[in-house]
Parts: sequence; structure tokens; C-alpha cells
Amino acid sequence: MWKYLKKYWFFALLAPLFMLGEAGMDLFQPSLMATIVDDGVLGLNNGGVGNLQIVIHTGLQMIGLIFVGAMCGILSGVFANLAAQRFGNDVRKDAFSSIMHFSFSQTDHFTTGSLITRVTNDVTQVQNMVQMVIRGYVRTMILLIGGIICMTRLNLSFGFVLLLAMPLIVVVLILFLSKITPNFTILQQRLDDVNNVMQENVSGNRVVKAYHQEGREQERFGTANQKLIETQLRILFLLNYMNPIMNIILNLSVIAIIWIGGLKAETWEVQPGHVMAAITYLTQILNALMRLGMMFQNISRGMASSKRLKEVIDTVPEIQDGEMTLATITEKIAVSDADMMTESEGKGATESEEEITEKREDDRIVIHGQVEFRHVSFAYAGHEEILNDINLTIAPGETIGILGMTGSGKTSLINLIPRFYDVTSGSVLVDGVDVRNYPLSELRGKIAVALQKSEIMQKSIRENIAWGNSESSEEEIRKAAEIAQAMEFIASKEEGLDTQVAQSGYSLSGGQKQRLAIARAVLKRVEILILDDSTSALDLKTEGRLYQCLKTEYPDITKIIIAQRIASVRDADRILVLEDGRIAACGSHDELLSDSSIYRDIYESQMGGVSHG
Amino acid sequence: MAEMQKKSISDYRMPGQRGPRNRGEVEKAKDKKGTLKRLLTYFASEKKNVLLLLIVVVVGVVCGILAPSLQSRAIDAITEREFADLPVLLAAMGIVYGINCLGTYLQGRASALLSQGTVKRMREDLFAHIVHLPIKYLDTHSHGDIMSRMTNDVENISTTISQSLSSLFSGVLTVAGTVVVMFYLCPQLALLSCSTVILTVFATKYLSKAMRNVYLKRQVLLGSLNGTVEEMVGSYRTVAAYGKEQQVIDEFNGISDELTSVGIRAEILGGSMGPVMNLINNIGFVIIAAFGGYFAYKGIISVGVISAFIVYAKQFGRPIDEIAQVWGQVQTALAGAERVFGIMDAPLEDASGEIDMQSLSEEAVIAFEHVNFSYVEGTPVLKDFSLIVQPGQKVALVGATGSGKTTVVNLLMRYYQPDSGTIRIDGADIQDIDLKSLRDATAIVLQDTVLFADTIRNNLKYSDPDITDEEMIECAKQCHVDSTIRRMEQGYDTMLMADAGNISQGQQQLLSIARAFVSKPQILILDEATSNVDTRTEKRIQDAMVRLMKGRTSLVIAHRLSTIKDADRIVVMDQGQIVESGTHEELLALDGKYHELYMTQFAGGVI
Repeated sequence: MWKYLKKYWFFALLAPLFMLGEAGMDLFQPSLMATIVDDGVLGLNNGGVGNLQIVIHTGLQMIGLIFVGAMCGILSGVFANLAAQRFGNDVRKDAFSSIMHFSFSQTDHFTTGSLITRVTNDVTQVQNMVQMVIRGYVRTMILLIGGIICMTRLNLSFGFVLLLAMPLIVVVLILFLSKITPNFTILQQRLDDVNNVMQENVSGNRVVKAYHQEGREQERFGTANQKLIETQLRILFLLNYMNPIMNIILNLSVIAIIWIGGLKAETWEVQPGHVMAAITYLTQILNALMRLGMMFQNISRGMASSKRLKEVIDTVPEIQDGEMTLATITEKIAVSDADMMTESEGKGATESEEEITEKREDDRIVIHGQVEFRHVSFAYAGHEEILNDINLTIAPGETIGILGMTGSGKTSLINLIPRFYDVTSGSVLVDGVDVRNYPLSELRGKIAVALQKSEIMQKSIRENIAWGNSESSEEEIRKAAEIAQAMEFIASKEEGLDTQVAQSGYSLSGGQKQRLAIARAVLKRVEILILDDSTSALDLKTEGRLYQCLKTEYPDITKIIIAQRIASVRDADRILVLEDGRIAACGSHDELLSDSSIYRDIYESQMGGVSHG
Repeated sequence: MAEMQKKSISDYRMPGQRGPRNRGEVEKAKDKKGTLKRLLTYFASEKKNVLLLLIVVVVGVVCGILAPSLQSRAIDAITEREFADLPVLLAAMGIVYGINCLGTYLQGRASALLSQGTVKRMREDLFAHIVHLPIKYLDTHSHGDIMSRMTNDVENISTTISQSLSSLFSGVLTVAGTVVVMFYLCPQLALLSCSTVILTVFATKYLSKAMRNVYLKRQVLLGSLNGTVEEMVGSYRTVAAYGKEQQVIDEFNGISDELTSVGIRAEILGGSMGPVMNLINNIGFVIIAAFGGYFAYKGIISVGVISAFIVYAKQFGRPIDEIAQVWGQVQTALAGAERVFGIMDAPLEDASGEIDMQSLSEEAVIAFEHVNFSYVEGTPVLKDFSLIVQPGQKVALVGATGSGKTTVVNLLMRYYQPDSGTIRIDGADIQDIDLKSLRDATAIVLQDTVLFADTIRNNLKYSDPDITDEEMIECAKQCHVDSTIRRMEQGYDTMLMADAGNISQGQQQLLSIARAFVSKPQILILDEATSNVDTRTEKRIQDAMVRLMKGRTSLVIAHRLSTIKDADRIVVMDQGQIVESGTHEELLALDGKYHELYMTQFAGGVI
């Protein structure tokens, strides 16, 4: 964190310096007042004859000083803000940028919720801490130390009062803070519990009503609420002891000062003005001490936040650009292309040889979109292996369907292609080149994925679709929406493509969101299109039309489709059945129906065992 | 893979955090008087604490005013060298301070009890109201919004009660009392001291006006920054898939920079409040020191009075600052209270009806007679819908999304009421049947499973906690979920996490079916109960459902036709009307809508 503050060292230095000015002026006041009382009014150094001149003169002096003090105070605020907020801004930007470059497993590790808190709350905490340290902390320290010096200079015996009062306050502070702090964690827990019951009842109201358990839920809520109130009260009561105790210490000290002042005045050692000044100093010192205690709490919170931010900023993105340059990759692809051509004859890929050759002459990089898994195994960090020795080659332009139970590794498999995750062992090749060798942007530029959970942004529908390709024309956007079967519902909206989508896409139905996500993917114009169970909310007719459109509009794109329903992938070139991280069967619908028992199982459960026709 | 956290973090507030979240922007209640009156009724039952609070505040104020004058006399005693008076004066000071501290303590205690007591009841009332709201209300209001009534608003009212009210009260009293004593001690000096109050009021007014605009702007920017973070971090998969990292970062940096520059302006303005107030305080100090000195020199007042004035000036400058702040808090709290009462005023679910389901024959016929219904006026969802379900029959509803299948269920459960037409069970209009007994006799399994953050046992026995373990386990076995539960470390005592995140979706669905099983319903409703699980698990679930439906009247809504092929009757719906009805074979032979649906599903989409 220091390196961020270093950049603004100038402001960070000026702020406390000006604060020194403000606090210093504050410290002057009581002693000047003592002069007014002792010399001006009582004339103690002048044989009991007061001097109005001194009163007026000192008064003017005080006025001048406080204006200087106020100016210093404002300037100190300006500089502290410049330092703290710019510092905060830099930290925030770096943290966010770091997060954006995290690999999926790194994001999983932190969890998105925690990352969001770090960029928002923690940055604010750290920023506040910096501001407090270079301003409030400095001010309090000056008032504390300066106050002690000024007070003891008035008369050393006043120091005895401090010697007694200060440790007492510190002990009380530590005692209470250490008692209260753990309660805050409990409070948080209790609050979560109450919110949970509430959340369950609001979103699960149909079930509560269906089982007419309203009364029981009220009881549950009552218990959670009671516990929350109890914790809250415990904290409030503890805090409630603190104020009176602090006050009594302060008040007793004032009495002690007057008492000592009285004794010393009797022997002409102190003057009445000194006693008054000492009382003012005493209040300043003890208040500063109490503030210091509160500040420590804030600082410790700020330090915790700073640590959490440091974790984010210092995390090195796990998935880095591959080392191969574009040129070498192009070379490699050209070579593998030659292999491919011989291979593809046997595979019966859709493109003819001539077409491929033709393309190659047009363009140095031959676009095709072959995907190969070589002995791929994969496990999420700290979990059991989810993919086990997968071998699979997907030919350019092929449509492949993937079926399997939840947890069988379907999504994990396709996540390896754009390097959302890296394989644990083996390798994934796109166009004959290991994905880890590509520059990341190059690799992901070849692939479009419509995700299982459609993530729709709080923007217009047009912007959401255009996310796939920001340079696309209106016509292209409309075309993509039509292919994704989204145009119908978009047209029914009053503002059409310009309709604003509410946060998290709340204003759209699940099927609508899925279609937007598909339109976005289609617009990206890539070699490999992956639909990760992204048509589950569409009815079969719409789904059918969508696939038909994809087929006619983009015949040479490789399409990988994960689905739950056999009907969705029935006409794919090949269907892959995954089970427990292994390929259980692979082939066309008809082949599998006759050869694979597991496929037949699924088929029968979905079709209800009625034979074909 | 971690799910996105649902709760919006930017909305989150630590309990006990003081005051309204955002300075500068003060919401106002529309009907302040009415809201305040209602809020006061909550205090009414805490009379003891309110009374104690009032007494203690008065005592505290009197002590606060008395102490400085004693101090002033003590200083005078030193000045006039009457040292014999000192011990008495100091002892009196000690007593006054002691009483004051006791008062502070009691005040804190009373206000804590008052605020927590009020909040507790308010929360309970609100919750009791929410669980009895009609489904329609919950369907048409944002859940996040309702949640925030319970958390933010109630919390806000709580802090306001515990902190603001007593400080407002004691503030006003202190100011009044201090002014009186100051005028009593020295009217001239009192007038001069009051001039700083005018300065304070002007400075606060001017500064806060300037601040309000900047703070508002900052609040908006902060909102959009937090929104961007939530959205982009939440959608990190999409961001990565489209290689939009740099674009997103640039967008974020733009907002962040803007926020910083507005933030600096706002904080400089806000930060100058401190020095300006300090300046005014110090001016007051100088006025007292210089003019006090002058008056003392002239012999109008004693030196001790100066000392007292220094304390008094501080004492009444502070509450004036505070009163302005507290006023804003009270406004926000009132606006919050109004929203809370807004929910409490929403009409409750119509629970009328006296006929007990038990008195009806167990072989009850369910009849929908010419039912019309629309969620939004003008767009009918059910049109002249008539359907008779014979006892023990399994009737399936199929049709495209929006054809009105779920609405049929909503009406039967009395979640909604038909616009016209009647629904009868054994001849009795369901509006006349006791709501509790109607719902008691029916069980519903929804597409989105709802399980509670409780033990599996309590979830299964949700309909009736008095059911024996044997019965429960028997039902679990029937649903093929007993062995799964037993494999868990704590078996039936396993705590489900919020959102049942610790068990799979299939298990959740099985548990919710088992729960329906346990409740031994007369009528069973399954609303797309299996569309979220994979086929293998579905098979288990279907098995469980077949057993569950045996001998029961059931209504099944399904996406996949395979699930309902064996139904006694299949009803095909289209745009709120029944277009076909019959058994699977009959409908296929009809070669109509059902045939078309079946063939698309069977033949699949063309890839």
C-alpha cells in the first residue's frame, strides 16, 4: 500500500504540516486567556492593578491566531483529501483491473461477493484510514502532547492529575473495546440470521402458505429477532457504561485541578488564570485520548481492509498469454492444416478440400475451428478430478452435442477451450495449437460462448447484443437477434432494441435472457460457437428454429452444444455422452440408439419409452 | 463455482452505524404527522422507559447547567483567596457530576431498551404482516425492496430512537437552560456569546447547502461505481469470454476518476466544516476571554464567570450543531417508517371461508366453472376455463409458456382469486372453504424448490412437527432420498444452508417431494417439478412422484411430455383456453395441437 501513497507524498506531507498549524493555534488559546485574566483583569504581576490594554491586545492576538488556525485547518483538509482520495482511486483502479484479469479459478477462490466488497467497501475503509491518519490522528496527537506540555508548564503539579487520569482512561478504553469488539461479529451473524428467515419467507411464500405454516414462521422469526435484539442490547449496554465512566474520570480530574490550584494559589504558586487554562487543557488532553482509542479501532479495521486489497492486487493472473507470437501460430496452423486435410477426408467434415485451400490462399490464417482434447484431465482446485483422460477431436464445422448428468463435467470440458480454466494434465488444442500457446485475446477471439447462466448487463438490448462485437452495424445486430429468435420479443417491446434492461436482467424472462446471450455470441463471428445449456428455458419449437437458423446461416462454424434434452441435440453430427468425467458414448443419434445402453436409458426416460414412430 | 452473492453490497449497512447513510440527501416522509403519530403508538407501550428517559434527561440537563456555575464559584474562591469555601464547592461539584454520570448511564440504558423494544415489536409486526400478505403483493413487489424495509428502514428507526431523540430533547433543554443561566450571570456577555450561534447557523446553512449538491452527485456516482463493480465482477465469465477486460477496466476507471474528483470537492467542502466550526468556537472563546476580561476589569463580573461562560458557550454550541444533524436523521427515519407502515397497510390475504375440508367427502370432485382471470386488467390469462377433475385422477396440463397452466394452480390454492366464475371442491366454492383446511389438504411441489435453512428433519416435517420420525423416514424411503440423507454426516439433523447450497438440485427436489409426501395431502399439485434436474435424477424423482400420486387427485404441469403420458387425462391449453383434452393415445390420434407438441419434442429440433 505504501507505494500508492508515495506517489502523493507531497500532499500527504503538507496535510499534517498544516494540521500542526491548526492544532498549534488551538493550544495557544488557553494560555493567552490566562494572560488576559491574570495580567489584564487581575493585574497579578502589576500589584493587583489590571490593564485594559493587555486585554484588548491579547484579544486581537487571539483573533488573528484563530484565523490563521482556520486557514491551516482548511488547507490541511484540502491536502489530506487530495492525497487520500487519489490514493484510493489508484488502489481501486488497480484492484479492479487485477480482478478483471483473474482466471476463473482465482475468481472462484475469492468468490465474486467478496471481490465486490473489496473493491467498494474496503477501498473506502483504506481511504478513510489514510485520511484519518494524516489528519485526525496528527491533530489528536498534537493536542495530546502539546496539551500535556502546556499544562505541565503552567505548573508541574497539574501533571500529577494527568499521571493518574491518563492510564485510567487507557485501561478503561482497552477493557471495553476488547469486550465489545467480539460482539460485533456475533451481531453480524445474528443479523444475517434474521435476514435469512426474512428472505426465505419472502421468496418462499408460496410454500409457507401451501403448508399454512405462517404461525411457525413467525415463531422462527421471533426467535431470530430476539437473539439479534439481545446481542444488540448487550453491545449497547456495554457501550453505555463507557460514557459515564469516562465522564467521571474527566470530572474528577477537573475537581482535582481546582483543588490543587486552590492549594497552590494559597501559597502564591499559581494564579487563577492558570487554573482556568489548566482545566481547558485537561479537557483537551483527555478528549484527545478517548478519540485516540476510537481511532485505533478504525485503523485496525482499515488495516484489515488494506490486507484484503493487497491480496487482490498482488495476485498474479494465473492464466497468462501464451508465448507464441501470432506469426508462429499462423505457421503452425498452416502445417497442421496439411495434416488436417488428409484427416478430414475420413471424418466427412462439411467443408470440401477445395474450399479450405481456397481460403488459405485468401488469407494467411486459415480459419477453421478444429478442437482437440488429448488425454485431458481436470480438477477444480482442492476437489476431486472432474474430467478424466478425455480424448476427442471435433472437426471444423462439425456440430457436436454433449449430454450428461449434472456434475458429469460437461461445462468443465468446454471451459477448457477458451482457457477459462487450464487442464490439470493433457492438452487442449485449437487448430492444432495448444491453447496455452496462444495470446489470450487471439484464442478467445476465435470462440464465442453462451453461458449456462445468461449474464445480461444493465444496458439497452442493443448494447447487450453488440457486446459480442462493438463494430457491428444495425443490420448485423438485427440479424443476430433474428437468428437467436429474439427479434420477436424485442419487437414487442415499446422501445425495441433500445429497451433498457433492468439490473441483472430482472425485466426479462429466463428464455429472453438466454436468447439475448445467444444473439451476443452469434454476433461475435467466430470459428467455434459454444452453447452451454443456454436454450434450456426455450420451448422446443423456438429451440428448433434457432438451431435451424444457425445451421443455414453459419454452416462452417464449429458448434458445441451442451443440452439436457436429447431432442435438442438429436440432429447433431455427433453426440457425446459424459459420465463421471469420462466419455461414455459418442456417435450420431442413430448409432448411439443402437449401440449405447446409457444413451438408450436417457432416451427412454425422456421419451417415455415409446418406440419411434 | 461460487454463485453470485445476491444481496447487493452497496445497500449493506452495519447495524449501529450512525445516522442516515448519505449526508446531503435527506428523504422526506409524505405524511409526516400521521407517520409520527403511528410511530408514537409504538412508544406508548414502552411508557416506563419513555418516562424514565424524560426524567433522566431533565436531571442531566440541570446538572450540566449547575456544574459550570459551581466551577465558576470555585475559581472565584481562588481569585478572592477564600480558600475555606473551596472544599464545600468541590464536594458539591463532585455530587453534581456524580448525579450527572448516573443520569447519563440511565439515559443510555433507557434509550437502548426503548429503541430495541420498539424495533423488536416493529420487526415482528412487519414480519407477521408479510407472511400473511397475498401472493399477489409479493409477486408484484420487488423482494429486495421488501427486504430493505426490514433491514435498512427498521434499523434506521432504531438508531434514530436510541440516539437522536434523546439528544434532540436534551439538546433543546440544554440550549434553553444554558441561555437562561448565561443571561442571569451577565446579560451583556450572554448576548455577545449568542452572536456566535448566529454565525454557526449561517455557516451550517450555507455550507450544507453547497454540500448537498456535491454530495448528491457523489452519491449517484458511487451508486454507478458500485453497480459497475457488482455487474462486471458478477459477470466475469462473460467479460472473459468476450475479451472485454480492457474495455470494462476503462469504463470503470472513467467512473472512478470522476468519483474521485467529485469526492475531493465534496470532502473539501465537508472537511472545511470542522475548521469553520472550530473557528466559530474559537471566536466565541475570544469574545468571552476578551469581553469577559473587559467586563471583569470594569468590575461587572467576576473572573469565575468567565470560566463558567467558557464551559457554557461550548455546551450550547454543540447541541445546536447536533440538532441540525439529528433533524435530518429524524426525517430519514420518518420516511423509512412511512415505508414500513406502507407494507403494514397493504391488505392481508383473504382468509375467509368456514367450511372444513374434513367435512367434505374424501372423494371430492374439483370443478372449475367458467373461470376468468387476468393478472393485469385487459390481458386475460384464463378465458371461460372449465375443467372437472374426478377424485383420484391424475390430470396433466400442457401447453406453451403463458398458456395459463400455472394460473390454474394459483387459483386452486387461492393464491389468487378468479375475476369471475367459481372453483368448487365437492360442490363447495373454495372461497367458502376454510383457507387453512384447504391448504392443509393440498400439497404443492414447485419448479423452484424452497427449502428452509433448518435441519432436514424440520424441513421434511414442515407441514406438521408432530409427525413421528418413523412416518417421516418411511416417506423419505418412498422418495428414494432416505439413503442419501443417511449418507450425510449428520443424517436427518444435517443443517441446510441458506438456499440449500450444500445439497444438489436433484436432492433439493427430492426433499421437497418428500415433504409433500409427509403432509399426506388429499390433492397434489406438481408444477414443473422436474425441469431443473438432469434426466438420470429425474427418473428417481419421477418414480417418487408416481408413488406420491397413487390414489390422490393430482394436477401435474409439465414441460416434458414423457412425464405425463400415463395421466388419466391430458389437458392441452392455449392462450387461457382448453383446446384439447383426453388420454395420450386419444390426443395423438386427434392429430392436433398435442400431436404437434409431442412430435416436436419427440422428433426434436433440427440441428
